[in-house]
Amino acid sequence: MTYLMLTGRTVNQGVTVENKTSAEYAAETSTCFMHEFDMLELGLDNGDTIRVTGPCGEVVMRAVMSEEVGMGTVFVPYGPYANHVVAADTHSTGMPDFKSHQVEIEPTDEEPKRVHELMEDLGGLAYDR
Amino acid sequence: MIVKDAVCPFCGCLCDDIEVEVEGGRVVAVTNACELGTTKFMGEKRMKNPILRDGNQWKEITCDEAVRYAADMLLDAERPLLYGWSGTHGEAQCVGVHMAELVRGVIDNTSSVCHGPSILAIQEVGHPGCTLGVVKNRADLVIYWGSNPIDAHPRHLSRYTRYAEGFFLENAFRDRKVIVVDVRRTETAEIADEFVQIKPGGDYAVLSALRAIVQGKTETIPRTVAGVTREQLVRVANLCKSAKFGAVYFGLGLTMTRGKYKNIRNAIELVSELSRHTKFTISAMRGHYNVYGSNEVNTWMTGYPFGIDFSRGIAFYNPGETTAVDILARKECDAALIVGSDPAAHFPRRCLEHLSEIPVVQLDPYPNATTAFCNVQIPVAVTGIDAEGTAYRMDGVPIRTRKVLSSDYLSDREVLLQMYTLMQEAKGQ
Amino acid sequence: MSELLVKNACVIDPLRGINAETMDIAIRDGRIVEEVSGAAEVIDARGMLTMPGGVDSHTHICGTKVNFGRYMSPEDMRAGRTPRRGPMHATSGYSVPTTYGNSYRYSVMGYTTLLEGAMAPLEARHTHEEFIYTPLQDTMANTLFDGNWAIMEAIRDGDTKRVAAIIAWTLRAVKGFGVKLTNPGGTEAWQWGKNVSCIRDPVPYFEVTPAEIIRSIVEANELLHLPHSVHLHCNNLGTPGNYTCTLGSFGLIPDLNPKRQTLYATHVQYHAYGGSGWKDFCSKSEPIANFVNMRPQIVIDMGQVMFGRTTTMTADGPMEFNLYRLHHDKWSNHDVELETGSGIIPVVYRRKNLVNSIMWAIGLELALLTKSPWQCLLTTDNPNGAPFVKYPEIIALLMSKRYRDAEFATVHPDTGSRVPLPAIERELDWYEIAVMTRAGQAKALGIQEIGKGHLGPGAYADVAVYPIRIDDVDPSVDYQKVIEAFGQTEYTIKRGRVVARRGECVVDGSNATFWVKPRVSEAYDMGKDPDFIEKFDRYYTVRMRNYPVQEEYLNRNRCIETEAEI
Repeated sequence: MTYLMLTGRTVNQGVTVENKTSAEYAAETSTCFMHEFDMLELGLDNGDTIRVTGPCGEVVMRAVMSEEVGMGTVFVPYGPYANHVVAADTHSTGMPDFKSHQVEIEPTDEEPKRVHELMEDLGGLAYDR
Repeated sequence: MIVKDAVCPFCGCLCDDIEVEVEGGRVVAVTNACELGTTKFMGEKRMKNPILRDGNQWKEITCDEAVRYAADMLLDAERPLLYGWSGTHGEAQCVGVHMAELVRGVIDNTSSVCHGPSILAIQEVGHPGCTLGVVKNRADLVIYWGSNPIDAHPRHLSRYTRYAEGFFLENAFRDRKVIVVDVRRTETAEIADEFVQIKPGGDYAVLSALRAIVQGKTETIPRTVAGVTREQLVRVANLCKSAKFGAVYFGLGLTMTRGKYKNIRNAIELVSELSRHTKFTISAMRGHYNVYGSNEVNTWMTGYPFGIDFSRGIAFYNPGETTAVDILARKECDAALIVGSDPAAHFPRRCLEHLSEIPVVQLDPYPNATTAFCNVQIPVAVTGIDAEGTAYRMDGVPIRTRKVLSSDYLSDREVLLQMYTLMQEAKGQ
Repeated sequence: MSELLVKNACVIDPLRGINAETMDIAIRDGRIVEEVSGAAEVIDARGMLTMPGGVDSHTHICGTKVNFGRYMSPEDMRAGRTPRRGPMHATSGYSVPTTYGNSYRYSVMGYTTLLEGAMAPLEARHTHEEFIYTPLQDTMANTLFDGNWAIMEAIRDGDTKRVAAIIAWTLRAVKGFGVKLTNPGGTEAWQWGKNVSCIRDPVPYFEVTPAEIIRSIVEANELLHLPHSVHLHCNNLGTPGNYTCTLGSFGLIPDLNPKRQTLYATHVQYHAYGGSGWKDFCSKSEPIANFVNMRPQIVIDMGQVMFGRTTTMTADGPMEFNLYRLHHDKWSNHDVELETGSGIIPVVYRRKNLVNSIMWAIGLELALLTKSPWQCLLTTDNPNGAPFVKYPEIIALLMSKRYRDAEFATVHPDTGSRVPLPAIERELDWYEIAVMTRAGQAKALGIQEIGKGHLGPGAYADVAVYPIRIDDVDPSVDYQKVIEAFGQTEYTIKRGRVVARRGECVVDGSNATFWVKPRVSEAYDMGKDPDFIEKFDRYYTVRMRNYPVQEEYLNRNRCIETEAEI
């Protein structure tokens, strides 16, 4: 199924943002907030893992039900998980489409990676696991 | 020891009424700050020493070695990128500009991925704004558009709007109306007098509809606009026109969606239109505590608020070309100095792939996502905790952050000055 | 010890009554001295025109609104770019250059001292930060008090001493130099989207009139013995028929100070308009100049308009909004809590436009009709009337009737029937120009005693040597030579060092900031006044302890202490 992915600030993201190697930061930024009907349609329970595929990649997150988003829209806190699927095109503005990405979502059995694993996938070297 | 009137180095509210209790060189208690600020003041997970990536492992190096590495990296680069800057004090940002000028690099700050589009809009149509205290004391109508202060600027509501006392408002909570416009029913929406829920991507159309109604062209409006009924639009327009003082605060809900700077332009033009009827202002909810300072510093020193390319010797500005995401995505830069931000957490993956291929030096107190891409990271003092310096609040008010405790870490400015001195020597100046 | 000797200079130094005498100027450690040793470095001025460094007593170069003018105008930044070269940093901008751009271009024209015309106290730190990056001039800031709540309350209570006390506390806190009133009362009214039309309109809620604000603050200013007088931007700027308002404001001013004027009225060109609307808009420079001629207590500056593109910026927010509704270009506004406001719009002054042509004439008329050059100083209200780089052309226009006539032939054809300019024969001489660009400015600012604006022993060694021999040039004919000479010094000497030479700045520089600390008695220390503190805490959004500008923001700290009468 195709959804519109928005990204944005949450309190928990902000609280953990200066502690990016923590499990809490990873948990918050790998959460995909969804409408309950959308989750029902995909057969998802709260906390189930999902594969999110965007124009330039895919990443595993966890689906969490939210009353804040409408059907067809999902919300992911700013961070490395969302950015794993966001394209870098800025349409000559300097600003990527952080709030207007079409993504595919499907259930998966895989677990979300840790932040440092994502970074190592892209050629980085984890400092503090 | 209790430090009073400390300045919170988290968000653009730059609250300066924080009480910080320090014991044995550690912050043990924080009063008045929100959860975000408190966590930052209490944060202890600092990197201890400068580190160098050596193949597949990290080793500790001295600060002098790290500074020398950074200076050499910038001197050797053909097209260095100096990025970040919103998480440090203005005095450090000034050194950064001089460094970029010396090595003919590109200097950009995090506004290119937050309110850069707002700046582009302001460059088209201007900006009718005011300081936060003007709103606090006068506004009887506040509109949050595409911004969610409860999560991103938690004390904005209590210090300046919904829950703030105001000189000209007898009972501020009762007399001040709050409208929230968003695609999500956020927590902020729950405390609004009126919530306008827009279909994603519909902000531009809704702003245009409001402008038409304010101009007296209600009959041109269809029954719904981006999911908002005509009745609600008319109600909102009337609330605006009948307000004595209206204030719009907009967030990344406008800058990051389709239309980007054109959304902001439309919002500003709505406010300019309303200014013909009553008093109205509009302001951006700036994120980092000193992202506005990085715009100010860059502007007085180079003429442009962000995305400045010195490769021709003169300052050249062309967002979309000279901005960090574009330069990384095009694999253009051959070295990067990162100060006071974490692009690896906040940039699209394609940018990170290039970061992994070039030398990177980062100045940051904490290990973060960008650390993984560093050749060298230099831990520095945190402005507002163990370093002081100037920050510009989201409304342009400059405040000097206080130092609440002493540490052995050097400030960003001190480290950058050491680098700049080495670079000047190498250039024979 | 560093010594410098400027030999064979043709010196005009009006504050010492020196008019074109050939002499040597001796300099030691940044000051003018009687004589130097044989080891001194020597510059041979070869008879070139030599004057004290230029002083600009009203310019907008640093601070919140200036920087916003840059921020919103990449097109202006692109219109003036230079790369890093030698000790010079890169610069951008034409009408609102970057700080380095301002500093280098002023320095090349021989200017060594600048007064930023409008600093909002709450945002003073910003102005001081930019001063540090304006390295080749000494700087000072006029501080805005036009919409100050505590002051308006004190005026309503008839307590002039309290007004003085609040000014004293604020100047000291924000490291300000003088007292600036911009559209007094109007900036507060504008925070409700309203304005005051002239000096008798009450300010909403506070119920004081601009006339009361002006008179009370003028008295308070003298109680504090500040070096400079009140610096007034009159109400009702830029509207047809406003000259009566200007005359009314001038009429409020008693003569309170034997050393200098009691009122400095700025950019009076914008306040000397006749007519009942734009259709019959005309010059009223004559009644204004006549009034000034009879009132030694008033000094004005021109606020000359020159044709071309520029950016207007002022604390006068409502005026900028009105201008926006005429021009329909971009508009910025920035109201400052409990204090003041500001507005910015870009403009183009066109020769083909009748109103613009009349404005151009009015500025020149004021300078030519005001008898004493000490009472009418040369400014453009940079960048409002034109960027300061136009000063040499203005000097030439004032010195040459022929040049004025040549220019007049190119402006809107109806201008002649609306202005007296074509009938004015006066041509200013070199001495008068020296008064209007440095000596008069220093006297009006009250800084001649601390060694600015003259070349007497003990003065700051700020010297401008212009590549022109005044005996060889008839300015009324050779006005192009005048323009060239004032556009680029042979040497600009600042604090005893050559800082600019033939268009190039040759050192990094290091600015000094002059500010005033009036000493008041314990009873008038607002920092201890419970009512002042309580209101501050409740209505400002910055804590009172975080408000004062720390000394870290003063590169070279030059505090002028005064003994107040309170």
